[in-house]
Amino acid sequence: MRRVFLKTIAFACLFLFTVRFACFAETNNDKPPADTASVPSVNAAADSLHNAIARAVTAAFSPVGSAVRPGPAYFEDVAFFPGQAQGNSQQQPTPPVTNPAPPSLGDLGFPTGQTQGNAQEQARLDRRTHMLKIHQRLGLITTVPLLATVLTGGFAGGKSTSSTARDFHAGLGSLTAGLYFTTAYFSIFAPRVPGTPTRGPIRLHKALAWIHGPGMILTPILGAIAFDQKSRGEKVHGIASAHGAVGVVTAAAYGLAIVSVSFKF
Amino acid sequence: MCIRLLLAFALLALPQFGPGADTQWILEQSTLTYHVSHPLHQTEGVSHAAKGKGVCHAGQCDFLIAVPVKSFDSGDSNRDLHMLQATRGAQFPMVVVRTRLPEEVSRSATIPVDLEIQFAGETAHYKQVPFQLVNQGNQIRISGTIPATLSDFKIEPPSLLTVPVKNEIPLRVDMTWHP
Repeated sequence: MRRVFLKTIAFACLFLFTVRFACFAETNNDKPPADTASVPSVNAAADSLHNAIARAVTAAFSPVGSAVRPGPAYFEDVAFFPGQAQGNSQQQPTPPVTNPAPPSLGDLGFPTGQTQGNAQEQARLDRRTHMLKIHQRLGLITTVPLLATVLTGGFAGGKSTSSTARDFHAGLGSLTAGLYFTTAYFSIFAPRVPGTPTRGPIRLHKALAWIHGPGMILTPILGAIAFDQKSRGEKVHGIASAHGAVGVVTAAAYGLAIVSVSFKF
Repeated sequence: MCIRLLLAFALLALPQFGPGADTQWILEQSTLTYHVSHPLHQTEGVSHAAKGKGVCHAGQCDFLIAVPVKSFDSGDSNRDLHMLQATRGAQFPMVVVRTRLPEEVSRSATIPVDLEIQFAGETAHYKQVPFQLVNQGNQIRISGTIPATLSDFKIEPPSLLTVPVKNEIPLRVDMTWHP
């Protein structure tokens, strides 16, 4: 038992002496550091020495100092060479970067919802534009019978109980009203986009609808009353006498509504 | 061992101070203006919502600028919504511009810039677009006009009273960057 113990002590002394010698020899060679990094070291004392020096260097160059950090300092924390340590901590000096990645959209700080496409929203916009294009075309088409109705209105009077001009005027008026309400439908039922306040000339365009809209309801009603009175051989009287004036105001408001979104003032 | 330590220190320290050191540029403020021509209208839409970043390394700078399509304001909400629809702005909500420049151009008065623009789901390239540079202390003001067209991005020209707008939609750029 005692012999075994002595043998163990002898081997340990021999091992330590060998380590010392190897360590001393290493300080005099000029091998590149990468060699020691790439080849796993079997020299425990050399590793120990590395460790101690590394801690000392870290303590010397770190602004916070290793003493601030609680817990034991690990060899990996002060790895000098690539591959020497796998788990990099945040306090480790950054190794030279070969080429930084170019900036990406995520770097700019836009909210995620703002940068991602929305197919449903696009479909809503497409439908809205489609309906407003029809609104625009029908609105332009409506101007033709509207103008014609206003112009033929001057020939729709007279004293006779029936007249072709009056019938023609009434027919044009009916066509105008029909086209007008179809046009209005495509505007009223076009999808709204939430969170979009109305600004610009479209405000005047919409405001004028409060004039020509009721006007376009009232004018045919007054026209029908006037037509009845004329058919009975009566002079146009009462509320029906406003038919012409209401019609002209309605047509003017309608024309202005078109102009408001067509020309820049 | 000392030599090894010094070498290691030098390797770690040099990239921080050397000529190839990384620098970043941040877009501080911007005004982007598109112009649309129609026989009855001359319209401009303005946005100040662009964000940008530039990363310089080894003498080359990669710049990225992005702006939401819906941030352009022409003063007419109806027109802006129509623009958003025509440019497929809900499906592709961002205009993204990328360019690469040599770092030393920051000392020039005029620079030709190659641009890659992603817009309306399409990508267009513009070569040698002239930009003016003005140094203002530690800031650089860059201005120029990108000769964009609707057909570059396969956008159907919107029409008013059945008359379509012109194909050309030049985009005026005025940006201030700081490192």
